[in-house]
Amino acid sequence: MFSEGYVEADGFRIRYMEAGQGAPLVHFHGAGGLRLTPAHDLLARHFRVVAFEMPGFGQSPENSRTRSMPELASTMAQAVKNLDLDTFNLMGTSFGGKTALWLALQAPERVLALVLEAPAAIRQEGAESPSGSPEEIARRLYAHPERLAAIPAPDPAIRAKTQPLVQRLRGPDRDADLESRLPSLATPTLVLFGTRDSVIAPAMGRVYKDLMPGCHLVFVYDAGHGISTDRPEAFAEVVADFLERHEAFVISRTETVIHP
Amino acid sequence: MKVSFFETARYCAPQTLPSEWPVPSGAYDRDAGARAYRGMIERLEYVEELGFDWVSVSEHHYSPRILTPAPIVSASYIAARLQKIKIALLGPIVPQSNPVRVAEELAMLDTLAQGRLVVGLLRGTTNEYLTYDLNPAEARERTDEGMELILRAWTEPQPFGWQGRHFQYRTVSIWPRPLQQPHPPTYALGTSRESCEFAARNHLGCGVSYGSFEAVGKATRYYREQCARHGWQPAPEQIIYRANMLLAETDEEAQALLREQPNQRPFSMRPGVSAALMKLDSRNIAGEARAPIVSGALPTTFIGSPDTIVEQVRRCRDVVGAGVLDLSLHPPGSGDLEPLMCALELFGKKVLPRIRDI
Repeated sequence: MFSEGYVEADGFRIRYMEAGQGAPLVHFHGAGGLRLTPAHDLLARHFRVVAFEMPGFGQSPENSRTRSMPELASTMAQAVKNLDLDTFNLMGTSFGGKTALWLALQAPERVLALVLEAPAAIRQEGAESPSGSPEEIARRLYAHPERLAAIPAPDPAIRAKTQPLVQRLRGPDRDADLESRLPSLATPTLVLFGTRDSVIAPAMGRVYKDLMPGCHLVFVYDAGHGISTDRPEAFAEVVADFLERHEAFVISRTETVIHP
Repeated sequence: MKVSFFETARYCAPQTLPSEWPVPSGAYDRDAGARAYRGMIERLEYVEELGFDWVSVSEHHYSPRILTPAPIVSASYIAARLQKIKIALLGPIVPQSNPVRVAEELAMLDTLAQGRLVVGLLRGTTNEYLTYDLNPAEARERTDEGMELILRAWTEPQPFGWQGRHFQYRTVSIWPRPLQQPHPPTYALGTSRESCEFAARNHLGCGVSYGSFEAVGKATRYYREQCARHGWQPAPEQIIYRANMLLAETDEEAQALLREQPNQRPFSMRPGVSAALMKLDSRNIAGEARAPIVSGALPTTFIGSPDTIVEQVRRCRDVVGAGVLDLSLHPPGSGDLEPLMCALELFGKKVLPRIRDI
C-alpha cells in the first residue's frame, strides 16, 4: 500500500514512503531508521501518511554534514515543503520526536498538531540506547518481542554509519536550550509512552506536560519503547482521534448501548 | 509476626438458608443484618484491645457468608470507629471494578484513616465472575491491567490518558492522593505465577491464602525468586498468609470443633455452572495448575491448643515466609459467635504474645 518516493532538500536526496488520503501526517523515525509498522497502515486509513527516511539513515549515504538537531529539523521542514505540504500533522518517534519538536518550534504555523511517540527529547539521567545482539535490542525496544513476526536484524553497517550522526544530534539528556523554548509552543501535542518502556522512562512524559501548554499525555498499557509495534491498534486509535479533534479528544464517543 | 483479624461481618441467620450460591436475596433478614454490622464493631473494638495489628475485609457478593460486598464501605466504617488498628482492604476485585474509581476510593480512605490503610488487589474467587457478568477468559488480563492503572493513578502527578486493552480513559488525575507515599502498602493477592510476577515487578507485597504451608510456600518462594530477579528482597511483612484457625484450650477440643464443622464449599454452585466455570477458570500455584476454589471446602491449617498453634505459626514462618497472618478464627458463616469470642480471647492472651518474635 505504501509507495516509495524521493525529494530533494538542502542537497540531500531524501527517501519517503507514502500512503493514504486526507490531511497530511508526516512521520520522522527513531534512531534505528525508517521501518513501517502496522500502525502506519492503520493511520493511512485516515490520513495521507508520509514517512521520511532522514538523511544519513537507512540506505542513504552517510550524513557527516548535519551538525545539530535544529539543523536536521530545518532540512526536514524543507523536504516537507518540497512535497507541497504547507501545513501538516507531524509525528516523531523517539529520536525523531526531538526532530519533530524542533521543527514545530522553528515553524509553528506549519504544524497543525504534534504527536510524540516515546520521544527522546527529554531523557532520564544516564539513559542508554539499546545495543548488543538483535535479540537484546528487541528486548529493550518491545514489551513482547516474542509476539512479533521476525523483525529484520539491524544491519551492522547501517548502524555503524548512523551511530555518529545519532550521537552528534541527540544532545544531552536534559537539553536546556530546547526545554526553555517549549513553554512558548502552543501546538496541540500528544505525548505517548508505553508503560513498559525500558529505553526512555515513561515518567519523562510528565515533563512535557509541565513545560508545554497544549500537551496531552497518554500511557499505552503493556507497550515498550516501540509503542506502534507493540500495540498498533491502541496507538493508531488515540493518535487518529487526537489529530482529528485535538484537545476535544478527551470527550468519549464510545457507545455503550447493548440492545436498543 | 504481625497478626490480622479477617472480619466477615458474621451474619447469624434466624433460619436455615439454602447453601447454594447465589443465595436468594429474599431470604435476607434485615434485623439479623443490622445485628451483624453492630456486632462487627463491638468485636473489632475487642480485637484492637487484644493487640491485633490489622483488621482485614474482603469483597464477596450474593451470600450471607461474608457480608461485605462493598468492602470500601465496611473499611471506611471500621476506620472511623477504631483508632489504632490498620485497615487492610484485601481487597477490591479488580477485574470487575473501575480501576480509577478504586484508586480514588482507596486514596480517600487512606487519608480519612490517617495513613492506616493496607491494600490487597486481586482477581477474585471463581463465583464472583457471575456477579457482574465478567468473562472468566478476560479476568486475568483485566486484573493485571487494572492493578497497573491503580498504581499509576496514585503516583502520576500530571493528568494522563490510559490506552489499555480492557480499560481506556482520556483523563485521569485523582484527588486526593494517598496519605502514605508513594502509596499505601499494597499486595498482589494470589498464588498464581502471574500475580507473583506482577508483585515482584512492581515492588508490591504478596498475599496467599488457605492452602497448606507447602502449597502456598511454593508461591511465596516463586515470588521471592522473582523479586530477586528484579533486584530487590521483600521484607517478611510483605508476605500475608490468610488461613482458618481453630483454637481451643486443648488439642482434643480443637479437633472436636473441626469434626463439628459442616464440611461445606464456601460458594457452592449448580453443578452445571460449577463444571463450566472450572473449565474456563485456570488457576495455578507458581505456574503449577490447581483447582479453582469452587471445588472444595477451605482447609483449616492452624488447629490445636495455644502451644500447638505457636509451633504451627513457627513452621508457617519457615515454610511460607509470611510476616503477617490474616486469621479467620472459626469459619465465617458458622453463625455461632460465642466460640469465636472465646477463641479471640484465648488467641489474644495465650498465642499473640508468644508469636511476636517469630
